Amino acid sequence: MRLLLVEDEREIQGFLKQSLTEAGYDVDTAENGRTAVLLAAENKYDGLIIDLGLPDQDGIDLILQLRRSGVNSPVLILSARRSVDDRVKGLEQGGDDYLTKPFALAELLARLRNLLRRNVAAQEDATRLRILDLELDFIKRRASRGGELLNLSPQEFVLLEYLCRHAGKVVTRSMLLAEVWGMRIQPDTNVVDVHIYRLRGKIDTEGRMPLIQTLRGIGYVLKDS
Amino acid sequence: MSSKTADSTMRSAAWRISLWATLAFAIGTMLVFAMLHRFVAGDIQRRSDAWLSGEVEVLGDVAERTPKDRLYSRVVGEVAELASKEVPNKLRSNGNENDSVFFLQAGDDGSLKLWVGAGNGAPNLDAIRMTKPLSDVPYDLRVKGFDIPFRVASVRIDNGSHIYLGLSERDELRVLRSLRIRFFCLWLLIVFFGFVIVFYTTRRMLGHVREITEAASRIGQSDLSSRVPTTKRNDEVGQLSRTLNHMLDRIESSMHQLHTITDSLAHDLRSPLTAIRGKLEMALSGDGNAEQGESIVSAIDELDRLTEFLNTSLDVAEAKADALQLSRTEVDLDVLIRVMIDLYEPCMAEKGLRVQLHSGGTVMVMADAALLHRVIANLLDNELKHLPASCTVLLSLHTSEGFANLIVEDDGPGFEPGIGPQLFEQRVKGKNSSGHGLGLAFVEAVVRAHGGNVTAANRRQGGARLSILWPLKKAEEVAEAPLLEAHGHEVKIARGKNHTPPLA
Repeated sequence: MRLLLVEDEREIQGFLKQSLTEAGYDVDTAENGRTAVLLAAENKYDGLIIDLGLPDQDGIDLILQLRRSGVNSPVLILSARRSVDDRVKGLEQGGDDYLTKPFALAELLARLRNLLRRNVAAQEDATRLRILDLELDFIKRRASRGGELLNLSPQEFVLLEYLCRHAGKVVTRSMLLAEVWGMRIQPDTNVVDVHIYRLRGKIDTEGRMPLIQTLRGIGYVLKDS
Repeated sequence: MSSKTADSTMRSAAWRISLWATLAFAIGTMLVFAMLHRFVAGDIQRRSDAWLSGEVEVLGDVAERTPKDRLYSRVVGEVAELASKEVPNKLRSNGNENDSVFFLQAGDDGSLKLWVGAGNGAPNLDAIRMTKPLSDVPYDLRVKGFDIPFRVASVRIDNGSHIYLGLSERDELRVLRSLRIRFFCLWLLIVFFGFVIVFYTTRRMLGHVREITEAASRIGQSDLSSRVPTTKRNDEVGQLSRTLNHMLDRIESSMHQLHTITDSLAHDLRSPLTAIRGKLEMALSGDGNAEQGESIVSAIDELDRLTEFLNTSLDVAEAKADALQLSRTEVDLDVLIRVMIDLYEPCMAEKGLRVQLHSGGTVMVMADAALLHRVIANLLDNELKHLPASCTVLLSLHTSEGFANLIVEDDGPGFEPGIGPQLFEQRVKGKNSSGHGLGLAFVEAVVRAHGGNVTAANRRQGGARLSILWPLKKAEEVAEAPLLEAHGHEVKIARGKNHTPPLA
């Protein structure tokens, strides 16, 4: 997959490019809006990462300009601003996503993956999902492991569903808060962790291979192999 | 609708000012007219008196000189007849019979010697005998059979008889009446136009004031870019709007400066923080030993805490300066709190805390959802951090007088004594608190920015109690926006006192 990274801060551009390349993406970089427009006209990108504070123009204007010239790839907006602009909200509703600086790399990768997958047609209309010996039935809202029915609360089912849909990929706490509980907050207590511990207590019972792994400082991952 | 506008017109200051001004104007012009009338009436009287005195003199002269023969009555009668034709103010369309003037000669003994005029003169003579006329000065005489009095002048001639010349005041009164009617019509017209002009000008002027008020209330709702309408004229209203605009320019520029400072501060700190965090994460994913990994993770944690602290400080600073940018949407507090409790309950249970919710159902408010989420999360974080095990957190939500009231109370140790008044100040925290002391300051700042208020106290039976009043969503939120602002203002005044803010 080919990405265009538009970021003027050298340091940030450097490590972003490195980690994106390590994650398997082809990355082109631009340091200002003009170069970005030229690059986007020449190449076809699967996704764009655009910083709002560019030296020559406002990031949102750049996105709108690219959209007008026919670039339809999803955009991950990076913002160092505190307040979220209404226009950013508009873009977010249009399928794009935004991250405020500073962000966790894992978060950026996770969101990027989400964004790119969303663009490929989601396979979320399946009624059942199977990951190893874990099975989810979305119609009956029930989950079982190794054929044994798990006693989950509705909330826990939603949480597990989200983890399963992102199986093998890192999900961060703020992703869980945003997607499962619908709020962008950063609690300074371990509220999300406790939910995961509880869920883990029900799924990864003794004698079974633990499925939910904690990545300290980053988030969680549900193993799919 | 029209009766509503009429009603609002009647209650406007322009209407009251015009009424009072018109009343004063009407009384003033009435006085002027009354004086004019008096002057004109006096003048007419004086003129007719002068004519009467002159004519009676002439008639006396003629009567004296004319020989007392059988032609006497005729000669004197004709002279009198002639004189009566020159009556001042006389109406032209008078009938043949001249009843406005009479000439009468009374003998020494009081008998009627000569009579020229309508009728036989007997009632006139009776009336003259009844009064005791002063010589030379004309006087009023009421004659039986006549509604209108006569003005009578008399002269004594040598043979001892008296000559009386009477002039009916009818014409004089008619002139005065027509004068009064004209005065009255003119007065009505002047008063009416005066009222219209005064009403129009005051309404126009007060209209400017109203525009200023409306603009100011719009600006009060954080639309700092709009300005009070100005006029070209250099009057008081023009000066008022110019002064207000000047003030707004300065407020806007300092607001703008604050935004710029906080934004650039945030930006300048965030870029290096992002770079540091990214590099740490890269190092973490590299081949490091476990011990190094541990310290890198804790460094990332510290960094995240620093970021959160930075964000909250800036939010509190902006909210305290009333510069928080809110994007309000409809939020059901009941649903939100249930989701929040759902989120926090496992964590609280882990710590041995119980959570209870008392709520009567849907409570709609207008709020910046992201900020409201953080407010509730802050409150629950606070309870989590400060309560010892086996305590109960009780949340109750109800509405009272246009406000949503959320009470968060617990049966823990309560707020430290003495911390009370500064509870909502930044950096104020209990001795044993581990937070950065911004939590409640943030809560209070956000609630205030939405036009509500927060009170905190220790419960009598022990434990802390925090009460948040948040304005309910109004049916016609947009139309009554200025009203909402007024409430916000009152709430601010009521802040710190333990009572419910008044509501219209």
